[in-house]
Amino acid sequence: MSRLSPLEERDGETVVRVPLTNGLTLTKGQTALTLVGILVLFGLPFLAGIVGLSWGRLFRGLLFGMAAVGLNLLLRHTELVSFGHAAFFGGGAYAVAVLAAHLDVSEGLLLLLAAVIVGTLLAAFIGYFVAGYVDIYFALLTLAFNAVIFATVFRSGFFNYNDGLAVRVGGDNPTLFGLGWTDLGYDLVLYYTTIVLMLVMLLLMWRLVHSPFGRALDAIGQDRTRARFIGIPVERYVWISFTISGLYGAFAGGVYALQRLHVQPEPTLYVFVSGEILFMAILGGFTTLVGPLIGGVLLVYLLEATRFSFYYYHAPIGIILLAIVFFMPKGIMGSLPDILAGLSRRASDPGLLGDDLQTIGSSIRRSLSRATTTVRILVFGVR
Amino acid sequence: MIDSFFVHTLNGLWYGFILFMIASGLTIIFGVLGILNLAHGELYALGAFVVFSVVGYATGLVASPEDPVSAVVFGVVVLAAALVAAAVLLPVGAFIEAVFVRPIYEREEVYQLLLTYALLLIFVDVMKFGWGTSPLDAGTYGGLNQIPTTELAGFGYPSYNIVAMLVGLAVFAWLVWFFDRSKTGRIIRATAINRDMATAIGVSTDRTFTLVFAMGAFFAGFGGAMVSIGPQTAFLEMGLDPLILSFVVIVVGGLGSLKGAFVGALLVGVISRWAIWLYPAVELAAPFAVMLAILLVKPEGLFGTWGEIE
Repeated sequence: MSRLSPLEERDGETVVRVPLTNGLTLTKGQTALTLVGILVLFGLPFLAGIVGLSWGRLFRGLLFGMAAVGLNLLLRHTELVSFGHAAFFGGGAYAVAVLAAHLDVSEGLLLLLAAVIVGTLLAAFIGYFVAGYVDIYFALLTLAFNAVIFATVFRSGFFNYNDGLAVRVGGDNPTLFGLGWTDLGYDLVLYYTTIVLMLVMLLLMWRLVHSPFGRALDAIGQDRTRARFIGIPVERYVWISFTISGLYGAFAGGVYALQRLHVQPEPTLYVFVSGEILFMAILGGFTTLVGPLIGGVLLVYLLEATRFSFYYYHAPIGIILLAIVFFMPKGIMGSLPDILAGLSRRASDPGLLGDDLQTIGSSIRRSLSRATTTVRILVFGVR
Repeated sequence: MIDSFFVHTLNGLWYGFILFMIASGLTIIFGVLGILNLAHGELYALGAFVVFSVVGYATGLVASPEDPVSAVVFGVVVLAAALVAAAVLLPVGAFIEAVFVRPIYEREEVYQLLLTYALLLIFVDVMKFGWGTSPLDAGTYGGLNQIPTTELAGFGYPSYNIVAMLVGLAVFAWLVWFFDRSKTGRIIRATAINRDMATAIGVSTDRTFTLVFAMGAFFAGFGGAMVSIGPQTAFLEMGLDPLILSFVVIVVGGLGSLKGAFVGALLVGVISRWAIWLYPAVELAAPFAVMLAILLVKPEGLFGTWGEIE
């Protein structure tokens, strides 16, 4: 292999070639951000404590975020809204739990492999039925499959009903790489294994969406009929992408089971978990690759942390989601460039701030006057 | 066997009528506005909480039911309280539509789902603020069963359930009349079929949509109120399961179809109660299995009409 410099000039910009990606590139700023992100991920077990955050919670957030990354493949490219991704997350988690509790499998990596296989098969099975549907029917069908699986697990003695199953064989943590660990060691080894696998999976996803297959999915999302006319086997491609997105969810669910060491139906399989996974993707920014991951960390952290520190813990999240809908429709990562550009423009020209205030004021005035008119008409009728 | 078949079928019908009241609002909102309202279950729960407060005040005004006459008076007062509680939901629904939902009709449906989910979360805390976290029992179930109508029918069955079923039937009849015969109902249907055309001939779509959302909220709240004055308590999470089941109902019946919601609700109600009786393990899964079968075989539902109320 020749000694190529990773830097390259392209369209007048210096870009960085990423290894192992067949020529995919990042700009300098993106490279810096990516490296910082990777460093933060690796330092997380030590950094989290310093700034007063719970590492375990962040870990779970990353896992749900990973499921959201999978879901985002459907949401961003084929424009299908899946409301049933908890089925794969929970499927993976339960695969781990069942193998450990009923079959005494104690090697963590084996359990994880089983989780991925079970969840992916589940996704392939469900995907076979739903691939031909679009819009609200797709959402409701995936929801129905999810609900059937949840109801079956919830009411079945094999899965120990609502109490769930423990991922322990004879009271011990599962082994990792064939070795038994202390509690802290187990968490750390599991975390770093997951992070490495996660980075690989993100890289693969990045390659996938920029491959001809990913472009074909984009075409399907824009117009199915046209995609069919230019020779794309629409149903089969949707089926494949559905299966891949299930794989990501299953992986996340498997690690979740290994991290919590106990799997219950409600936090993993319930239909509202599906909703949360979907909203993580939007919150973080579903037009980007890593946005769902950020959204997952944020939403899970908020959901878990606010529960203990606030009496009213639903409304703050609701208000954040409202703000996302109305002010940041592209999500956090998607709007970041716009916000930064806007801020820097205002920093160089403070006069713009006055304009902003005027715009806000006039829009409030306008909506107030419209509201009074509506109320007047509703109460007194049209004169 | 025959007796318990009868009782379970009746229980299923009762449950179906309650589901219909929730699902009818969901289906007309979806049919006219094109929004799948995830906060609908919370409107139902809000109705259940409001009726708790209203009933406590209203029943204090009349004698406790002992003889048939006072029992009938009591029943009428409780039903009136349920209506008042549901009426509280009218301005709530109108406010939500005008402030939150109206700006996002043109957006992708993901945002509509996200918005209504956010409203769901906020509603939970509003109810927590208003009524606290412990389940509340309106305490009228015993009083309502003092009305001796069922003794006339020849077998023992709580008269509350009979009353609730009759109310559900009345709601269905009124809705059919409203959308078939009344002028406002026809305007709403016209708007659902073609928004641009309706605007062109002078219908204010904004006001129509506000009205429809308020109506949906009203019936959801009425369903909640009818449940809450019965044997069930009002609790914070009560909106979730009916919401998911109403999805099943409106999918089985056909999205946006009123008659479909009616048939679907009774079907889902009866099937789930039969499942409890015969094979409890499948109770939760049975409605979704029905929904899956319908979606896969006949995706438009039993009475499927897109965006049109029939």
